[in-house]
Amino acid sequence: MSEVKITAEPRTEFGKGGARRTRRAGKVPAVLYGHGEKPKHIALPAREFAAAIRHGGANQLFNIEISDGTSALALPKAIQRDPIKDVMEHVDLLIVRRGEKVTVEVPVQLTGEAAPGTLVVQEHNTLSVTADATRLPEHLEVSVEGLEAGSHVTAGQVSLPSGVELVADPELVIAVVSVPTTADLEEPAPAAEEEEAAEAAETAESGAPAEESA
Amino acid sequence: MLMPRKPPKGFRKPHHPDRHGRAKGGTRVAFGDFGIQALEPAYVTNRQIESARIAMTRHIRRGGKVWITVFPDQALTKKPAETRMGSGKGSPEWWVTNVKPGKILFEMSFPNESVAREAMRRAIHKLPMKCRIVKREVGEV
Repeated sequence: MSEVKITAEPRTEFGKGGARRTRRAGKVPAVLYGHGEKPKHIALPAREFAAAIRHGGANQLFNIEISDGTSALALPKAIQRDPIKDVMEHVDLLIVRRGEKVTVEVPVQLTGEAAPGTLVVQEHNTLSVTADATRLPEHLEVSVEGLEAGSHVTAGQVSLPSGVELVADPELVIAVVSVPTTADLEEPAPAAEEEEAAEAAETAESGAPAEESA
Repeated sequence: MLMPRKPPKGFRKPHHPDRHGRAKGGTRVAFGDFGIQALEPAYVTNRQIESARIAMTRHIRRGGKVWITVFPDQALTKKPAETRMGSGKGSPEWWVTNVKPGKILFEMSFPNESVAREAMRRAIHKLPMKCRIVKREVGEV
């Protein structure tokens, strides 16, 4: 994955007031830390940063040039988003060095079509791998082509590019191929009848929700 | 219908839960490919959850999977009609989940996106607040 150059400004004001002013100015408050260095509080251009994450994924490598003359190579460690507006509120950036091995969560994409009439459910969407910080895979692909119902794909079956090592348990189930049944969909909560019966008994005893069995 | 097996002792007639603020967790699609996200605060009853689930599953028929990511474990009480004030708190009437904006209520995995969206649109009609359909992004943090 190629690195993205981005310019940042050091932040001088903190707290919610300062952070909100930074966001109103079209920037994202961020913190840069790692390798025993003192954390640096910076502001990143929101639009450029969001575009880079959208195209390069969560493990996009950034070459951050801070306006005080320093620069650093960093990976996003955590991104806080607004759940409604879906805008970035704060970013944690981890300093990395060229040639350094880092452990990251890489998205897994399923390719191909399983046998007709089956449903593929992806149990894990990411896989923990170790790789060179400058050569992180954008995503890992695993084929479910022609897989029959009852079969599953494990982490050990995912083909990894050279220089990438699996950290996750090789037996970790990535996807399961199953036959969807109408009963599965129509069945309400498990043992609902029992619960209702128990509830009715309780109602009789202690005046608990009477509305439920109606 | 979803409800606790046994109401927790001391919480049979709780106060109304706080409706301020936004959801702190459960705001991203975690299990399926699509989700129904609340945009307003609401108390969602177990009947509404069940109704939405039925609306969704009847539309997709076969070939999909539905997750319910909320649980109505909060009892709300009601005093009987034409009752004078006083004489203690009313009896438990509903089981609800306290939904705050941003919360994902349902998730769905289905191969055809347009069918999945229509199923979720039908489910949203059964819910008491504004909602939207969200899709899981590949590689999101």
